[in-house]
Amino acid sequence: MSTRVTIDADLCIGSGDCTRVSATAFELVESLGVAVPTPAAVEEDTSLLVRAAVGCPTQAIDVIAADGTVLHRGNA
Amino acid sequence: MGEESGAGPITFGTYEAIREALFDKDLSRTFDTRSWDEGNIRDGVVSIQHGAVHRARRRVENTQFRPDRLRLYERDLFPGVLDAWIPRLIVDGRANLFLMGEMLSVVLAAKRAGIDHDPDSIEELELLVHYVDVFSQGAAILDAKDPEGVRTLYRATMRAFGEGVVARSRVPREAAIARFRAGEIGEDELPTDILTVLLLHREEPALELDEGRLVREVSTYLQGGTHTASQTLVNFFDLWWAYADATGGAWERLGSDPAFAQRCMHETLRLRPTTPRIKRHAEADTVVAGRAIPAGATVVLDAVAANREPALFGPRPDAFDPDRAVDPSVARWGLSFGAGPHQCPGRSVAGGFPAPDPDETADPEHVFGLSALMFQAIAARRPRPDPDRPPTRDERTERFTRWATYPVIFDR
Repeated sequence: MSTRVTIDADLCIGSGDCTRVSATAFELVESLGVAVPTPAAVEEDTSLLVRAAVGCPTQAIDVIAADGTVLHRGNA
Repeated sequence: MGEESGAGPITFGTYEAIREALFDKDLSRTFDTRSWDEGNIRDGVVSIQHGAVHRARRRVENTQFRPDRLRLYERDLFPGVLDAWIPRLIVDGRANLFLMGEMLSVVLAAKRAGIDHDPDSIEELELLVHYVDVFSQGAAILDAKDPEGVRTLYRATMRAFGEGVVARSRVPREAAIARFRAGEIGEDELPTDILTVLLLHREEPALELDEGRLVREVSTYLQGGTHTASQTLVNFFDLWWAYADATGGAWERLGSDPAFAQRCMHETLRLRPTTPRIKRHAEADTVVAGRAIPAGATVVLDAVAANREPALFGPRPDAFDPDRAVDPSVARWGLSFGAGPHQCPGRSVAGGFPAPDPDETADPEHVFGLSALMFQAIAARRPRPDPDRPPTRDERTERFTRWATYPVIFDR
């Protein structure tokens, strides 16, 4: 079991801020105007995941550790 | 400064409380819910939208601020603008620094907004700067000393803007979109600007666009891309001269170190935020920093105080110090670009990506921001205040960081 990263597509405004923190964990889907977590997100450094989540302008990102600990809960 | 309340607005003055407020989904920028016809000159623009409509607009518009676009502007386009226009804007060794900043900034702001103009025509640039001046007064209507006068001027100017440069700029874009929809060209062959993406998506109900709103949305990006950059240019030099006088080799370092120039921009914006007191409207009952905010309340966020917290910016927070140590979790510009869903979409255009610290080397893909380039290009000509013509503040607004004129003399 590994880190779980989710992005609420209803909240995301496609700022791309998360992709600048980690291009490994996040990518933009331009046709939808939103960011999504990549398959590699589960292996990304959790400190980077949390930094991206904290900086998300609409708080669309949740980061849950492998043991179920909530590392960051957004506004979803 | 802590938190204040009373019969009037609820004021927050600490960095953490303000940041929390800016992220609060129940605090909006929607102070006027009337329609355009009822007198709301900001009706429908993204800046005052809230919730689903705001998100839908930003999804479409944020596509124009991707890193590859920022690099194109910074590396390929803006140097040519600076080379072409700075000599033309200096007459007999003198210039109005604020107007120079507007004229330089409006070129790419117009390109991003989707406003076509003759790149060699000073008259067309002056017209665009005139539009920006009026739209800036409208954008700051909450702090206007004569709001009715601003409304009247804004409405007339917006009409001329829509029927003039916007109407002309729409023709080639609508033709390109028609070709795209007919399968004759790919989406990547469409113009890359705000007007094009709005025309492309205008029928989507989520965006709530009509003719008037479309024009006002384009005006928002023209204004936003010009006004902040030019005010920050003036505020930078207003702070810089004293710093340079006291700091050996400062001019040479500014000219040779773009990361230093970038930190100068961030430090300027920290000390002189374009919107010193950010306002929010409570759409519903909410809580900020433990304080209950009732629905309907006005919340005032004192960015000037927050940007000078010693715990975040060191023991001399009032000083202009581009090399100050700031924790990476805190933006060097403080809260001057806002935060949360309404954070400035153009912050990376003007301010670049988070600046390298003095002991760091910039990544090859780093974006320094157009303001840093502008500072360097103008500084190369060694401007100094014109002793015979003192600068003047923009007295039409309560915002103390705004200038009307700043005459300078160039020594090179």
